[in-house]
Amino acid sequence: MPYILDNRSTFYTLTLLNAGPSQCRMPKTAMSQVEKKAGLLRRTSSSKKPLKEKVVLMYDEIFAKDDPAKNNSRFWDELFLMKVNLEYLEAKLESLDGDEVMKIKDNINSLFHHCVQALAEEHQIKVVNALQTLCALFRGVHQKNKSASGFDIINMLMGFDKAELRMKDLMESLDSLLCGEGSESLKALCLKLLLCLVTVTDNISQNTILEYVMINSIFEAILQILSDVSTRGQHGYDAVVLLALLVNYRKYESVNPYIVKLSIVDDEPTLDGMGLVVGQALTEYNRQYKDKEEENHGGFFSTLTSMVGSMFIADADEKLSVQTNEAILLALYEAVHLNRNFITVLAQSHPEIDIPTTPITPVLTTPTTPLGTTPPSMDMMNSSELPLDPNLQSSNLLITFLKYSSIVMQDTKDEHRLNSARLCLIILTCITEDQYADAFLHDDNMNFRVNLHRMPMRHRKKAAEKNVPSRPLVCAVLDLMVEFIVTHMMKDFPMDLYMRCVQVIHKLICYQKKCRIRLHYTWRELWSALINLLKFLLSNETVLLAKHNIFHLALLVVNLFNMFITYGDTFLPTSNSYDELYYEIVRMHQIFDNLYCMVLRVSTNTGQWKEPASKVTHSLVNVRAIINHFNPKIESYAAVNHISQLSEDQVLEVVRSNYDTLTLKLQDGLDQFERYSEQPKEAAFFKELVRSISLNVRKNVSLNTLSQDLLLKEFSTIS
Amino acid sequence: MGDTELGLSAAQPEELEPQSSSTASSSLSISSSPSRSLPSSPSSGHYHHQQTPSPSPTHSDGPATSSPPLDVISEGVGELTLVIDPEVAKMACQEVLQKVKFLKGKSEGSGSGSDGGNSTDHTLVNGTVYTEPIKPPKIPGEEDSEALPPGSVKSARRRQRHNPSKQSWLLRLFESKLFDVSMAISYLHNSKEPGVQAYIGNRLFSFRHEEVDFYLPQLLNMYIHMDEDVGDAIKPYVVHRCRQSISFSLQCAWLLGAYSSDMHISTQRHSRGTKLRKLIFSDELKPAAVRARQPLTLTPFCPLPTVAQSLHGHGLGGEHGLSPTKRTHQRSKSDATVSISLSSNLKRTASNPKVESNQDEPVRLAPQREFIKSLMGIGKRLATLPTKEQKTSRLISELSLLNHKLPARVWLPTAAFDHHVVRVPHTQAVVLNSKDKAPYLIYVEVLECEDFETSNVPLRISETRIRSTRSVENLPDCGITADQRAGGFSTVHNYDEDNEAWSVDDIGDLQVELAEFHTNSCDNISQFSVDSITSLDSKEPIFIAAGDIRRRLSEQLAHTPTTFKRDPEDPSAVALKEPWQEKVQRIREGSPYGHIPTWRLLSVIVKCGDDLRQELLASQVLQQLQIIWEQERVPIWIKPYKILVISSDSGMIEPIVNAVSIHQVKKQSQMPLLDYFLQEHGTHTTEAFLTAQRNFVQSCAGYCLICYLLQVKDRHNGNILLDAEGHIIHIDFGFILSSSPRNLGFETSAFKLTSEFVDVMGGLDGDMFNYYKMLMLQGLIAARKHMDKVIQIVEIMQQGSQLPCFHGSSTIRTLKERFHMSLTEEQLQVLVEQMVDGSMRSITTKLYDGFQYLTNGIM
Repeated sequence: MPYILDNRSTFYTLTLLNAGPSQCRMPKTAMSQVEKKAGLLRRTSSSKKPLKEKVVLMYDEIFAKDDPAKNNSRFWDELFLMKVNLEYLEAKLESLDGDEVMKIKDNINSLFHHCVQALAEEHQIKVVNALQTLCALFRGVHQKNKSASGFDIINMLMGFDKAELRMKDLMESLDSLLCGEGSESLKALCLKLLLCLVTVTDNISQNTILEYVMINSIFEAILQILSDVSTRGQHGYDAVVLLALLVNYRKYESVNPYIVKLSIVDDEPTLDGMGLVVGQALTEYNRQYKDKEEENHGGFFSTLTSMVGSMFIADADEKLSVQTNEAILLALYEAVHLNRNFITVLAQSHPEIDIPTTPITPVLTTPTTPLGTTPPSMDMMNSSELPLDPNLQSSNLLITFLKYSSIVMQDTKDEHRLNSARLCLIILTCITEDQYADAFLHDDNMNFRVNLHRMPMRHRKKAAEKNVPSRPLVCAVLDLMVEFIVTHMMKDFPMDLYMRCVQVIHKLICYQKKCRIRLHYTWRELWSALINLLKFLLSNETVLLAKHNIFHLALLVVNLFNMFITYGDTFLPTSNSYDELYYEIVRMHQIFDNLYCMVLRVSTNTGQWKEPASKVTHSLVNVRAIINHFNPKIESYAAVNHISQLSEDQVLEVVRSNYDTLTLKLQDGLDQFERYSEQPKEAAFFKELVRSISLNVRKNVSLNTLSQDLLLKEFSTIS
Repeated sequence: MGDTELGLSAAQPEELEPQSSSTASSSLSISSSPSRSLPSSPSSGHYHHQQTPSPSPTHSDGPATSSPPLDVISEGVGELTLVIDPEVAKMACQEVLQKVKFLKGKSEGSGSGSDGGNSTDHTLVNGTVYTEPIKPPKIPGEEDSEALPPGSVKSARRRQRHNPSKQSWLLRLFESKLFDVSMAISYLHNSKEPGVQAYIGNRLFSFRHEEVDFYLPQLLNMYIHMDEDVGDAIKPYVVHRCRQSISFSLQCAWLLGAYSSDMHISTQRHSRGTKLRKLIFSDELKPAAVRARQPLTLTPFCPLPTVAQSLHGHGLGGEHGLSPTKRTHQRSKSDATVSISLSSNLKRTASNPKVESNQDEPVRLAPQREFIKSLMGIGKRLATLPTKEQKTSRLISELSLLNHKLPARVWLPTAAFDHHVVRVPHTQAVVLNSKDKAPYLIYVEVLECEDFETSNVPLRISETRIRSTRSVENLPDCGITADQRAGGFSTVHNYDEDNEAWSVDDIGDLQVELAEFHTNSCDNISQFSVDSITSLDSKEPIFIAAGDIRRRLSEQLAHTPTTFKRDPEDPSAVALKEPWQEKVQRIREGSPYGHIPTWRLLSVIVKCGDDLRQELLASQVLQQLQIIWEQERVPIWIKPYKILVISSDSGMIEPIVNAVSIHQVKKQSQMPLLDYFLQEHGTHTTEAFLTAQRNFVQSCAGYCLICYLLQVKDRHNGNILLDAEGHIIHIDFGFILSSSPRNLGFETSAFKLTSEFVDVMGGLDGDMFNYYKMLMLQGLIAARKHMDKVIQIVEIMQQGSQLPCFHGSSTIRTLKERFHMSLTEEQLQVLVEQMVDGSMRSITTKLYDGFQYLTNGIM
């Protein structure tokens, strides 16, 4: 407490010194400060209604028709010395209807103008107050707008003729505040204001003020925040979210300079910084999830039988749902999708903690630091070291992202989680389409243990997979896909997720085939997962056909098998694995037979599915050839040797000795895939996603986060 | 250096004038000799500046004085005069005589005229015999020892020892063509004659740098551990070279540190070696161009007592351009500023080219030192981690951090060419097998350059630039087209095929990208490849046999140059097995610098916590033997590898490319060595196998001899490598000469010769086995002929050394004995037979008797 009191008194003197004519009012403002700080509820202080705050009186003057500066020439100077009363201002603006607002338009324009002017003030208190006032203005006016009273927001805030100039000034001030040496809280407030401005409308593209943000870009300021270690730590998150939102402004309709700029950033520290921010946010989510999981399972996990356990799991799952963070995921998507260089960041290995690159500030300003920046003194050396903890696995953004995806994909029932899972798969699609990403995914020298989260299921143990071997990252991606395939065969079939999932696998295999990479992966798990998927499609044909084109998915799955059959020689790790593929197909021949019957039936009927179904029939030619070739051979082998049940080795033996009489048909375009494109297919999804993110961000940039207390504490120490 | 000399000479004329007159008056030879350039000529770089330890005092009496005969010298002269061309000898003789006269005259001149102080310092040493111009070495504050007044006790004593006849013979030898570095080092070491030592010290300047560099460890060890005269003789040369080259400076400093480490801590602190090391690290030895601008370099002669004192600035008179205290201050300050300025001064060229050109010099040693230090730091930290896997992943992260500081003016000292390090492909690094230490292997991308000191450091190309070269759009289907596939797949596919695909002109690519953005479509236009569209047209179905696919799979797996399976406990096996060229290609593709024509890949093993001094010694012996065998045309193959000693417990080793240890071979292949040879090279009769077998035999013979001569112990399969051509290469010379591992008695044979080795050679009765023994004999005879050159390397290093290989007093004697100077060639043949027999027997019976017999019977 004494500390705060001290601060307050400093603030007090400070205001006294600068307040000028209004100083007689200041003690009261300071008084209310004291009350608040002393822990009194706001309610109690506002209960002394008769004593209206000076600032509120001043607001009232603005909302009157006369020019408030007419009587008091220092009106605006004084206003920005007062602590802003956000609630009052916003509420006042909200309460006015269109006509009323038009009447006081000049005053509001004037207020906006002075706010912008105040941003350039040396006195930081004024800057803070101006920023907050602007927040209130934007929000208040837009809430008005929501009731569709049809007047133009820009005109009301700035006036049509002045708008361009005002916004230019505003953006320039914000830019210099963000890039300057000023206080961190001030920068935070600038970002909050921008977030506020960007999210005032539900649909970001309808926010016409953003047109000025497009013209007067603050992209460079955002990048600078991300490239600098200290600012990244404090504002990185807001900066990244802001960027993600700005990129989505009228994305499909016009040239968005943020898209263009983001796509050509090639400055490593900046991209690294962005990667770190995203990585930290995802890590934080993963950690929270883990904590919750342990909390839930800690007490009774050991004692439960599997039956009882399954009863509780439904409960536990609900508790486990940590709020997903689509905003940060969107930022990751935009970076991966738009910026070719960002891919390298994904593989940038870093320990879990943010490493300060160099301890000396002057060096930080130059992005490229020379070798030997650390003087030989030991302390310095230590600070640039990685933390020396053997248990600390060095990680990278991709691993964090995969873990995050594994959590999010577990449960897609909830709308947010479904969106997150979809976005995760879209990001993975983009990654696997990228040549460089594929290169490091398959890099034999970059082995990692990736502990993916697995959905607790009745028929498998959960804690069994502690000892994940260290493997190339692509194995983790494949594991994740396999995991998804096996866990989402449900009535409410997430068809598009399945499509994406199978496409990701296909892209990886295409790369392996192209580059002749023989990945040591247990392909068998994938094959059986895919076969089970086909089985599920078959058994739920009627239900699924009502909603989805299951033939498309079936075609993709069968073509994956065709890839293995026709091109297995280029990417399978051992000759045995090719035999095993045949073994698996022959073993599960029933499913392929049934599928063939089904698609044949559908394709002979006329109807909307005729075409897609016939495609599947064609694609099954080789699988059927294999089944028809080997099945009789195996049966005769069993008959000759009088064995009722052949062992795996025996079947493999039959397979091996009968390859030469089997002819396969070469199918076209197995290794071709449609490249991902956001427009037009995904446009609707992203529009909705951005809308929900906007709502969420708006909620979070609440009055509370704009609260002045902390700021005041800080500025009271600045003279 | 061109600049250097200009700067120097421009500053000098006034000073030189009195000198030229005084020398002219005192010695006629100078003006009469047309071969010498006059010192007053400003363009001349052909004189030694004041610091040259002129042999003037010692030679001052010329042939008139005598010295006690030195056995070694007379022997050498006796042998060699036979071969010397009389004309040359005569010429040389005259030169020497002239020189001696001249020197005498000079020293007299300086002795008599106290005002002509400068003259003593400017000594002409470069006669016409020298092929290379000699550049002026300058040591600030060291212009002393030779400047002793001629009347001092010391020089008087020296004078008495001169022997006219010996001296002239010796001089004839020294001036002869045959006099090489090896001899110079030998005389420097053996001669007790300060004059001779000083002369040789001067003579070092005339040898090619590479030649002297080979003996640098010897020179520095002598400098550290031998008496003052030797040190004084060597120092000017070392200092001169340090001035010329950063790399030489650092190497000297590291070696000085390493070879001083065996001294007692108290003496070490004040030893010459430590002082010189400090001097180098303080970066006082900048190229003269920089220093010439400062008046202090041209401080007129003043009588300084000793090198040591002047280094500390004690003996300097305060009235001179630089007072001693000032200098000490400056020096200590410069140490500090180096560390402080590191951060600000060493801006990479990429960020600010101007900064570099201005500020590079004050800290010219710093980047490289930091680089080495960070590599060592990584090694130290890795050692604390328990498992290989953790070490590996940690190594990768550490190196990726290191990458952020590259490119810089740093280089790998083990490389043979000038270059700048631009990137460490961190994912390629591997931790090597070791119990408690963590040696690791890194690959380093470098750009070759003219001169790493003056060439600009390459611009940083961000890692992200690879993106533009490697885009999917430009990746043709490297596999097989439908037709190819159908028509039967003939040969194993070349792995290089996709390489061309990667190296696409990235600029065109980028432009396309930009154009796309401006047309406002940020998404890649989805398109099927042209192939698939065209192939859709052909309606005829193409059939392929499943058997073919299966066969191709197994064939390709077999034909893939056997890659080793990844083993987390032995990560290096896979990395080392990959053929070097493929690795280079692969890394080049993945590097943002790969497109630059001067791009090279180097590799280095960083050893932290290991003493590499013995390794260096062994490597020198190997190099020497290799030269001898080449000279004597013995087709023995050995592979000395570069060793860089950084301190007594750290260093770097140049890895042998395309080689894996026999242990790894056996573990991975699970088959006898011969079968592995057959698998890798082909059946018994193929050219490839026979070549590999011959390589094996030739290398085996070489290493067996080396193991015997150097008594290399600890010969397990992990220390013997097998390269892709079939050569074996021994590594790890941790136990040589007098040292052996604790379990003494286990390795009793003269060298390691297992039955597996014999099998590869084609069995005991095969021609190749006889060839092997014949090579050993020839090799031993050749080595014996040049024994001195080998012994000398070892002997000098024994000085002041606590290394276990020198344990005991008989190291050199027994080494000499192993050359068997007294045996006839027939006897030697018997010896080789016996050694081979003994080695064979010791592995078959594991008994000690073979070697016992050998040692007792023969030696």
